[in-house]
Amino acid sequence: MSPAIEVTDLRYRYHDGTEALRGITFSIERGDCVGLLGPNGSGKSTLLLHLNGILPEKARNTGHVRIMGEAVTAESLERVRRRVGLLFQDPDDQLFCATVEEDVAFGPRQLGLPEEEVQQRARDALARVGLRDYGHRATHHLSQGEKRRACLAGVLTCKPDILVLDEPTSGLDPRGRREFKTLLREIHATRLIATHDLELVVELCPRSIILDQGQIIADGPTRELLNDEELMLAHGLERPHILRHIHPH
Amino acid sequence: MSWLPHSHFTHSDSIVHRMRPDVKLACAFALILATALAPGHWTAWYAAVFALLTGATLVSRVPLKFVIQRLLLLSPFILAIAAVNAFHPDVRTPWQVVAAKSLLSLLAVLLVTLTTPFGKILQVLRRAKVPALLITTMALMHRYLFVLADESERMQRARLSRTFRKRKGIWWRLSASVVSQLFVRASQRAERIYDAMCARGWK
Repeated sequence: MSPAIEVTDLRYRYHDGTEALRGITFSIERGDCVGLLGPNGSGKSTLLLHLNGILPEKARNTGHVRIMGEAVTAESLERVRRRVGLLFQDPDDQLFCATVEEDVAFGPRQLGLPEEEVQQRARDALARVGLRDYGHRATHHLSQGEKRRACLAGVLTCKPDILVLDEPTSGLDPRGRREFKTLLREIHATRLIATHDLELVVELCPRSIILDQGQIIADGPTRELLNDEELMLAHGLERPHILRHIHPH
Repeated sequence: MSWLPHSHFTHSDSIVHRMRPDVKLACAFALILATALAPGHWTAWYAAVFALLTGATLVSRVPLKFVIQRLLLLSPFILAIAAVNAFHPDVRTPWQVVAAKSLLSLLAVLLVTLTTPFGKILQVLRRAKVPALLITTMALMHRYLFVLADESERMQRARLSRTFRKRKGIWWRLSASVVSQLFVRASQRAERIYDAMCARGWK
């Protein structure tokens, strides 16, 4: 069976000539949960946008991205976007409809599903993220944690095989973080989580990829990488406290 | 001046609020059309429309002060239209008539938007077969007005916290830089929103 995500020698340059990705190669098996770590500006978000075919808009890249064995091209874009759910960093960017219900139903409506199923999926997704009675609330009146969960519901209604998350716990209070972590654990899709929340990675992702200056620096078991203090400090990260209290033996 | 959001009154309860949104919109449209086409010397017609709209405003219990504030905010547009007319070489309508027509039309639009939730207005427009792209644009504009207002307030506050002395003209300079920054941020956000829409299958 082909891997869920397969990226081969991916390079990308921004308009201004900055090299954001410099030869990225990795693959993720179906059902795996992988952490994507790296300092600010290391290319994490740029990489994630490639997995959903948002980038590149023009031929400024080389290399290949394959989703469930299918190359991301202009022709396959619709299928790819159906398979890959992308959770953006700023919930206000993602919640573009006036009410929660409308927003959560946006994806299935775009897929052209019958209205009954759209409603059913929206209800299920809202219940799943714990926002059962929030359907009629205005999106701009939600708290940060509620916004984030509404975003996740909006992605889950499209029933993606792969979930790609860009800093899912940033800006959340400890309770919000804990709740969101529990939600992520319960989802059984393939997950790739770009984050600075090292505890989240230790708890959820058996494997991690470290990115810096558009290149993969390390790729391996999360605990092994995060215990390597020298490696962590060299790339704007640190050995998380949670690992200091766990003894390997 | 208090900057209550426009939507503050849309969920109150009155006869005007309870009117069906499509009927309300149709009435307002007809009234505006008739006023725009009415000849200049129909003073009684203008007075009647004015009385009707003021009466409806009173019944709707939207504070008059708020309506007047909004009208003042929009008055530069009325005045500009009237001024263009006043100095136009080949004048057919006196500027007072143009000003009265614009004022009445604005009042009608204000009354409808203050007593109808925006989502309902969009639903009516959708049923009236207004192009989908225009409706989407209006829905997005309404959604992000709040985000933009919050952002400008935060920026204004951050600037003020580092403004130590009151100097002449500082307000204008601050506002100018906030406006330009907002413009840049808004266009960046627009790009991210478009990405987010595409990610969920927008075509």
